[in-house]
Parts: sequence; C-alpha cells; structure tokens
Amino acid sequence: MTFSDWIAEPVNWVFAAIGLAVLFSGFRVVTSKNVVHAALYLVGALAGTAGLFLLMSAEFVAWVLVLVYIGAVIVLFLFGIMITRAPTGLDESLSSDQTAMPALLSAAVFVVMTWASIDAFGTELLATVGEATSTQVIGESLLGRFVIPFEVVSFVLLAALIGGITIARRDLTPVEEEERMSV
Amino acid sequence: MIVGAEWYMTVAAALFLIGAFGLLLRRNALIMFMCIELMLNAVNLTLIAAGRALNDLGGQVAVFFILVVAAAEVVVGLAIIVAIFRRRTTASVDELSELRG
Amino acid sequence: MSWEVDYLAIAPELIIIGSLFLVLGLDLTLPRLKKYWTATAAVAGSALALIPLAFLAVEGETISMFDGSYVVDEFALVLKGLFLVTAYIVFLMSVNYIESERYYQGEYYLLLLASVLGSLVLASARDLIVLFIGIELVTGPLYLLAGWRKGDVKSNEASLKYFILGVLSTAILLYGMSVLYGLTGEITFSGLAEATAAMPNSPALTMAVLFLIVGFGFKISAVPFHFWAPDTYEGAPTPITAYLSVNSKAAGFVAMLLVMYLALPGVSDVWAPALWALAALSMTIGNLSALRQTNIVRLLAYSSIAQAGFMLVPFAAAAVAGADLEEAFSATVIYLVIYAVMNLGAFGVVIAGARTTKSGEISDWAGLSNVDSRAAVLVAVFFFSLAGIPPLAGWFAKFVMFRSVMIAGGAATVVLAVVAAVNAVIALYYYAKVVKSVWLDDATREFPGEFDEPPAGSLRLALAISVGLTVVVGFFPALATFVADASRVIAAGG
Repeated sequence: MTFSDWIAEPVNWVFAAIGLAVLFSGFRVVTSKNVVHAALYLVGALAGTAGLFLLMSAEFVAWVLVLVYIGAVIVLFLFGIMITRAPTGLDESLSSDQTAMPALLSAAVFVVMTWASIDAFGTELLATVGEATSTQVIGESLLGRFVIPFEVVSFVLLAALIGGITIARRDLTPVEEEERMSV
Repeated sequence: MIVGAEWYMTVAAALFLIGAFGLLLRRNALIMFMCIELMLNAVNLTLIAAGRALNDLGGQVAVFFILVVAAAEVVVGLAIIVAIFRRRTTASVDELSELRG
Repeated sequence: MSWEVDYLAIAPELIIIGSLFLVLGLDLTLPRLKKYWTATAAVAGSALALIPLAFLAVEGETISMFDGSYVVDEFALVLKGLFLVTAYIVFLMSVNYIESERYYQGEYYLLLLASVLGSLVLASARDLIVLFIGIELVTGPLYLLAGWRKGDVKSNEASLKYFILGVLSTAILLYGMSVLYGLTGEITFSGLAEATAAMPNSPALTMAVLFLIVGFGFKISAVPFHFWAPDTYEGAPTPITAYLSVNSKAAGFVAMLLVMYLALPGVSDVWAPALWALAALSMTIGNLSALRQTNIVRLLAYSSIAQAGFMLVPFAAAAVAGADLEEAFSATVIYLVIYAVMNLGAFGVVIAGARTTKSGEISDWAGLSNVDSRAAVLVAVFFFSLAGIPPLAGWFAKFVMFRSVMIAGGAATVVLAVVAAVNAVIALYYYAKVVKSVWLDDATREFPGEFDEPPAGSLRLALAISVGLTVVVGFFPALATFVADASRVIAAGG
C-alpha cells in the first residue's frame, strides 16, 4: 500500500486520529502526576477505543464499552480516589524513579509484538463494506451457544458485589454491635 | 485502500505495552489498576480486530465477557483499596512494606 | 438452533449454585448467633454435589454440550471430585476458624462456594471463553477472601498484592488468547488443535503461547512468577491459604494442561522448553527459599511452589522428549490429587497446632509433642508425606513422576530428573526440620494457647479424612491409578 493510496481514504484519517488520541491518552494515564487527571485520560483512552470499535462495525460492544466503562467504572474510580483521600493535587511520589528500564523493556517487547502481528496479519484486510454484526445475532449467541459462560459470569458479578461490600464496609465496633443486637 | 487489521493490532500492542510500562513505573495502587484496565482494553481491541478480519462472531462475544469480568474486577479492586485506606492515608504501594518476600 | 442441556451432567454445578443461594438466604434471615448454619449449608452442598458425580461416573458416558465447549467426561469427573472433596475439607477447616474470630461468616461461605463453582466449570471447559470465565470465578472471590482478616494490615496487603498480580496475569493470558484467536479464528480446543497443527510456526503463534504460559505461570505461582504467593499465603486466613495452595493452584494447573494438551499439542516445540524451564526453576528456587524460612506458613508456601515444579516435571519431560503425552498427563493428575490431600492435611494441622502455639514460627512449635501428641503425629505424617517418604501417599506421587520421566527418555529429561532428585533431597531437609522441632526439641516457653481440649469436631473430621487418604493411598497406590485411567480417557473423548 503506497502512501498516496493510504491518504486518499478518509477512513484512514479517522483511524489515525483516533489511534493517536488513544495512545496519547494511554500515555498520559501512565505519566500524569495527578490521580484525577489520570482517571480522566483513561476516559479518553476508553472512548477512543470505543471509536475504533465503531470503525470496525462492532457497534454493540462499542456502546457496552461506553455505558459500562465511561458511565460506571470511571465514576467508581473517581469515587475510589475521593474515598481513599488519595492525593489529588500534584504528587511527585506517584512514580518510582526508575524509568529507563521499564521503558526499554516495554519498547523492546513492543517491537517484537508488532513485528509478530504484522507478520501474521499483514496480508489480511478488513472487508471494505462493513456489514455490522447485529446486536440480535450477538444476543442470540449469548443465550444459545454461549449460555454457560453467560450464566456463570453472573456469579462472578454476584460474588464481586457481595464480597466487595463486605470488604469495603466499615466494621461495627463491639459496642455498636451490642446496641444493634439489643434492638 | 482501508487500513487492515494489523494496524489496529499495532495500536493494541502499543496500548498493552503502555499499560505494562505504567505498571512497572507507577507506585499508586489506583493508577496501577488503571494501567491494567488499559491492558485489558488493548486485548479487547485485538479481539475485535481479529474478529473483523476473520468475519467471525467469537471476537465480539469474548469482548463482551471480558468487559463484564473487568467491571466485576473493578468492584473487587476498589473494595480492597478502600479497605486498606481506611487504615492508611497513602496510596503508595512502596509504603506497604509489612510483607516482603 | 436449539441447544440440548443435560441437567444430570451439570447437576453438581446446580447443587453448588443451590447451596450458594441457600447460604445467601440463611445469612439474610438468621440472627448473628445462628449464622453457623451457613457453614452447615456449604458443607452439605459440597458433599451432596458428589452424589450426581458418582452417578455420572457409573454411567461413564461422555456428554458434550454446546458445540463441544462444555464436556463432562471421566477426566472432568475426576477433577470435579477432587475439587469437591478438597472444598469439603476446606469448609470443615473453616467452621471454627471463621466463627471464633468474628469474621463475616455467611459472605465467607458464599464467596468460597462461588469459587468452587468456578473450579467445577473449569474442569468441563473445552473452549477459551468458558475457560476464562471459569478461571475468573475461581480467583475473583479469592482476592476478597485473602483480605478477610480486615483488622490485620498483613491480610489487607495480601489481598491487594494477590489482586494486582492476579488481574495482571489475566490481562497477559487474555492477550495470548486473543492472538491465538486472531491466528486461527477458533475458540474451541478441538478447533484450535486442528488449526494450529496445520499452521506453520509463526512468530505470532510463538508469542501467543509464551503469553499464555506467563499468564498461567502466575496462576500456579511457578518461578519466576511466584513472588506474590508467600506474602499472600501468610496474610490470608489459614483455611483460605489451604484453598489457595490446593484448589486454586489445581485449577490453574488444570487450565494450563487443558490448553497445552488439548488445544496446542501441535506447537509443543514452543511450550515444552518453557514448561521445562518453569519446572526446573520452580523446584530449585522454591526449595532453596523454603530452606531459609522460619515461619511455617511461608515454609508451606515455598514448598507448594516447589511441589508445583514437581507436578510439571512429567508433562514437561514428555513434551520435550516428544514422548507420549497421555502417560505424562495422567502422572501429573495423580501427583496433583495426592498433593491436594496431603497439603490440605498439612494446613489443617497448622490450624490445629496454632491453637496451642498461637504462633507461626517453627521455633515456637518446639516440644509440641509433649503437650499434644496427636497433633504432633499428624505433623509427622503430613510433612513426611510431602517429603515423599514411604509408605505415605507422597512417595507414590514422586514414584509416578520419576517413572513417567523414565518412560520419556532423552538427554533433556535426564537433566530434569536429576534436578528433581536433588530437589527431593533438599526438600526432605526442611520438612524434617519441622518434624524435628515438634518431636525432638525442648519447648523453650510455656505454650500460650489451649491444649487440653481437642479441636472442634469439624476440624477433626477434616484431619481424619486427609490422614486417612494419605495413609491408605500410600499403602494401596492402586486406588490412585484409577485416576490415571480416567485421565487417559481425555485423549480419546476430549
């Protein structure tokens, strides 16, 4: 694919813009000195990923990502930051001092991974005319072929819900407990 | 000519490694956790790209399950972090030195 | 398209789900002082679930559901039996431990039952999605249970450390799976096996397999991915530590072996050397670190890391030598079953002994035989069994391991066998150190805890079951070989 081919296709512009935005946001999550900023950049990275999903016509999961993650998980993160009174201002101690080794390591693995995936997937192109996988098809397969994981995952959620509340709640002191039992 | 699956996978690989880099770099439990979310997101991107290239449903179904599980893990993780910081005001794992191998 | 569900085949899962909801209901309605009924429900549930398992075993049919993604064959039944029996023992060990310390009881059993459900699903999983959900249901509740001693900072940190590394390993595992899916377009194990066997070895395939091994390496706490284990084991409540070192480790093993054996036999030249290295490193580093431990729980933590190395030996050896994987597979499963029983017993006796010593330091256990001879005998039984001394069950596990290495043959396997043999000797030293402390050393202090009263009935039952199995299997190893026959079925029916 020559550069002029590439540039003639507006979809590629959209892809490049969103892709770079995702990577930039991800990088800022990692480097930001402020916990709240990191959480907000995470929103950016997730929203960008949802955009990439839409480019690949995966509409259902794109909107699930937006609703579940941006709508709920990030809010939970922000609550977590507030409740734990994590320092929300500038904080130098958020990172360790050793930057070079992790950076080198990550870069090296990135080169290997990219080389491997271009080697494997380089010849495959996405079908130009994207027929979106309809939510109906996904829903039917979730309640058909994938019904066992679908039911089992509900227990993951139930356990997380109940266990999370138990671990995070403030324990009653023995005195308070006496009072509650006498009522 | 539209970008192929390998482009999306390259973005995903980069995002995965940014998350891994952050995990090695950061010392704040909440931010370490956000880095893991980035890594899981990269996995999702790979799956969708693969599913699109193969014109197969499995990728999207897998992403659905990963999203649900990851949401549950967020609840678990934040509960653990809240439990710890009822006692402590710092969120730095370096100061959690009670246990050292 | 409609899908057939065989309700008898999933009856054990349904019973566990039923007792989970029963625990939930009881916990909501019962007053605080009657919450021990939740424990009864959990114990009864895990025992009841064994009944349909027996029916299915007698019938002996392989039942395959949902496009072959959920399979109940003899192999799955053996593993489900293992998971249920060990869960039953852990529930029994928990009853008094949890009651005495004002922990949340109902929620404890609910989470543990959820984890057991995950392991049952895992044993039947024959596609990547079911496998992933199974693993997550096994480990998810355990992140929380590791932090159940909320008042103790050690427990909080145990849970945070376990959580961060657990989720990280999940992410790595998933990345490997996603690349695998991208390469083949398959998610069922049988489909993957066909596709990967037909495909030339590409860098992406190698990368995917290595990611999978790193992810599973964390789950089974194999060296060099083991560093979370000693801290988490020490901080978690002791019954949970027992569960972590037996059930959740077994679950990780099962998941890894299923993927390698059923889905990726065609790329064994990639994963065999990796498993070989994991086995050698886990045995050596685990044992050398165990030598330096003064705390009995940390010692058991490193010992279980080393035992994981021993468990990997038959499989890694056979794969490296290109020998028949079937034999090695059953050897690993036998080792896993025997290890589960004796390691649970070791933790049970740690709970029983700690009532007297109130300490986890081995030096504080000196002279225990003078005041509590029964506990001291059990210490000797379980620790010598872990060391592999005949006629206790552990020797048969080691014997099966070495035999399968002999069958495999080849230079690399001989090296591995030598490493294993040297490590078996090292291990003997630190297991014997504990027994020596309990039997031969003089008490250096008054024991602070109680020793007149025997431990609670449930703990006694748990210990009786483990000691019974340890001794009986040691004398009659033929009992354990039926496990081998069952796991062989997987080659045909899997």
